[in-house]
Amino acid sequence: MSTEAVWPEGYDRLILDEVDSTNAEAARLAPDLGRPTWILARRQTAPRGRRGKSWTMPEGNFAATLVMRPTGTPGWAALRSFLAANALFEALALSVDRTRLGLKWPNDVLLDGGKVAGILLESASQNGQVSWLAIGIGINLQSAPRIRDAAFPPVALDGAAGGPEEMLDLLAGYYATEEAILERLGFEPIREKWLRHAARLGEVITARTGRDAVTGRFETVDQDGRLVLATPEGERRIAAADVYFGEGA
Amino acid sequence: MTDTPHKSDVAFIQALAELLRENDLTELRVKREYGADDSLDVRVSRGGPAPVAAPAPAAPPPPQAPATAPAAAAEVPEDPARHPGAVTSPMVGTAYLAAEPGAAPFVKTGDTVEEGQTLVIVEAMKTMNHIPAPHAGTVKRILVEDGAPVEFGAPLMIVE
Repeated sequence: MSTEAVWPEGYDRLILDEVDSTNAEAARLAPDLGRPTWILARRQTAPRGRRGKSWTMPEGNFAATLVMRPTGTPGWAALRSFLAANALFEALALSVDRTRLGLKWPNDVLLDGGKVAGILLESASQNGQVSWLAIGIGINLQSAPRIRDAAFPPVALDGAAGGPEEMLDLLAGYYATEEAILERLGFEPIREKWLRHAARLGEVITARTGRDAVTGRFETVDQDGRLVLATPEGERRIAAADVYFGEGA
Repeated sequence: MTDTPHKSDVAFIQALAELLRENDLTELRVKREYGADDSLDVRVSRGGPAPVAAPAPAAPPPPQAPATAPAAAAEVPEDPARHPGAVTSPMVGTAYLAAEPGAAPFVKTGDTVEEGQTLVIVEAMKTMNHIPAPHAGTVKRILVEDGAPVEFGAPLMIVE
């Protein structure tokens, strides 16, 4: 790819040959952080997925974390899940037909129904205010790990989207735009954009929480970012869950 | 019970019952001292016989009492959240007591913690929000179970 991306103003960039995990590095940098900083690693020795889920990273794939010290409540900070998903969607849509891409609540980007990327956000809060936020993004740019029986089998871009550093430039640019929208206009335009790219909107999906599963029609995402499902027992608004398509899983 | 319970007592007990259900607890007991001869002792449990509530206000404060202690108490819906050592959830989400399933918990009851040490994670929108100890102390009580849904302001732990 030869897209000349302009690095966004107000953001720093740190490129590392190797690190344990970019999110771990973000947590170490966070206390003394000046400006929002993207940390890109060519290799991760201990990549982390959500809740201990494995996330392997062959070289050539993308692993980066944006660490920042936003203001506001942790609930507001968590809405950046959707900003990251929107930015990643746009960055990938430069390389593959956007009809092949879809978003799964809250921040999974699917390519042909498979998992092409993963986003893991971590934050810390004190006295009801967020102190730092790390948005970790992994993209299967070159190759996908083999995982048996995955509900969303890993897929890769096979190099179609260029290398990690080119991807970082694109992603940083799109993310900065999303952040500026959030700052000036609030969450609503972010939410609307996300819904335009949502997979299975209006269809039956299943949200699995730690202890139960809720199946219902995927109505919308509300102004707090919660998943809204219409179930036979009424409407359910869900703040934390893993989403599966259909009634199964 | 011959006394008609004070309206706020009923609301308070209801809030406790809700807390019990939401956090999947089996029993909750709260004792409050309003004054020298005015106290409330509530025990709410489930899984056994019908929930037991035993409000015993020796001298129930008049409704809408102006200012001072009784009025302030009447506005308090959830006692553990008002405990001076309470660590509450800053958002709606799922509480996790360990970094991942099967891992050792961040803290256990009786643990000594340092200020800033992660006590619990509350997840919403795939954001794992670490809740650090607001001050050094001892974990007196853990009020949520791993994987339990929590509401905004729900008490998670008592650290003193």
